[in-house]
Amino acid sequence: MIHIQNLSFSYNKNHQLFDHLELSLPPGNIYGLLGKNGAGKSTLLKIISGLLFPKSGELHITGFKPGDRLPRFLQEVYFVSEEFTLPKMKIDSYVRICSPFYPRFSRSLFNTYINEFKLPQNQYLSALSYGQKKNFLLSFGLATDSKILILDEPTNGLDIPSKSQFRKILANAIHEERSFIISTHQVRDMENLIDPIIILDEGRIIFYEHCETITGKLVITRQKELTDDERIIYSESHLGGYTVVKENTGHEETKLNLEILFNAVLSNPEKINNIFKN
Amino acid sequence: MKLADHFNINRFLLLLKLELHRSRKGILITFVVIFDLLLFGFIMESIFGYQKVSDSHPVAYTVALLAGGFILSSLAFHDLGNTLKRHNYLMLPASALEKFLSMWLLTCVCWVVAFTLLFVIFAAGANSLGHIFFSGKTFVAFDLFGRLPLTAIKYYVVLQGIFLAGAVHFRSYVLPKTLLSILLLGMICGIIFYFALSDLFRTHVEFIEQYSKMTGTPLYSLWLVLKWMFWWVLAPLCWVITFTGLKEQEV
Repeated sequence: MIHIQNLSFSYNKNHQLFDHLELSLPPGNIYGLLGKNGAGKSTLLKIISGLLFPKSGELHITGFKPGDRLPRFLQEVYFVSEEFTLPKMKIDSYVRICSPFYPRFSRSLFNTYINEFKLPQNQYLSALSYGQKKNFLLSFGLATDSKILILDEPTNGLDIPSKSQFRKILANAIHEERSFIISTHQVRDMENLIDPIIILDEGRIIFYEHCETITGKLVITRQKELTDDERIIYSESHLGGYTVVKENTGHEETKLNLEILFNAVLSNPEKINNIFKN
Repeated sequence: MKLADHFNINRFLLLLKLELHRSRKGILITFVVIFDLLLFGFIMESIFGYQKVSDSHPVAYTVALLAGGFILSSLAFHDLGNTLKRHNYLMLPASALEKFLSMWLLTCVCWVVAFTLLFVIFAAGANSLGHIFFSGKTFVAFDLFGRLPLTAIKYYVVLQGIFLAGAVHFRSYVLPKTLLSILLLGMICGIIFYFALSDLFRTHVEFIEQYSKMTGTPLYSLWLVLKWMFWWVLAPLCWVITFTGLKEQEV
């Protein structure tokens, strides 16, 4: 579905953001794209959606070159960015005018989603709160049945009920022929939703694994004392003890903590990658 | 690659509908402002004009068609001037060709047709009012097929392309930047032509002073080439620049 080969990109001559980046994302997954600020997450998403052109390399997204921005490609990629603007229209007018651009748009699905998010149909988009606007865009994007749905920081600005609604709706909307790519810093909002996990750092993919593989190879536990266990890769102190990430040598089953995993990968990417290579 | 990837009539009509829906208030305000100004000008001319016969419509039509159209064309791709709106516009499932053609159709053909229709109605109404309130004056009916209106339309269709190209390439202050660019380009071309053809100018100085005698001279041939380029090359060139500018847009 998404094949990126030798991708190079820079905003200016002095700093190369991506240098020969390779990435392949098969359909049917909710990808979690994690990374520090400035790691290149949003840039990568913009390149995938054809909003930025790479300096070199090959990109094939659902069989199209994104930079061509052909209508058939744009029908298959829906991008909800972190910051957005909506026209001064009522929800109903927006759907009536914009939905025909997406041949598989389902009005009934859209109605289901906006009912689940409790959005009023006859409201002006400009009168909605930031979180409601985001829920509206998410509902519209899901109803387009586009093969790729890109969400940049989707839970920013959502209230607690909306966050759980968001997770529920997204988990139900995924199918074998479509993929969701979620870029986020709010990893706790995404636990049990995103799989596989992709970590981007300074323009490089430093980690790309399925959750099942991660829990098979790593153990994330809490312990009172920090022992000199050789298997410990990373530790974080907290009230009353430590959270440690260590190699899973005894087939232990633990819950995946994305925040700790992210910090562990960033602190010692080589060691983590060696564990996953074996 | 299929033709439908670049142009599909249904998608094109959808795009036109979307643009018209989004711009309907702007279009309405533009027309209200222009016709208010025209009415104001007509009343002023009727009160203070010293001529017994009032034939101001062709000039008013020309000025309003060109000025209004250039302003409208400068606003054509205003979504590109804002990062967030640019994101929406570029992600809209329509080809660059369709986006260009929809804007060209709206700001060129639709503007000329809609403005002309409304102006014909305005001129008839204004003349009727003029006959009632300024009975001592004669108001000449607006002849759309007169020399000036038709020339204005021809010039508008050609020059409008420059403003459309400016709308794609400049992200803010489109109209002043486009006007400044035209001025700079005009000055540069003028200087280059003057120095490149200075010998010719000196040789034919008397012919330049007496235009009719220029026929057959190299300078006259050059003038004919430039004239041909203005009418047949300038507009298509601007359209190509607009289209490629649209294709190359990034966020």
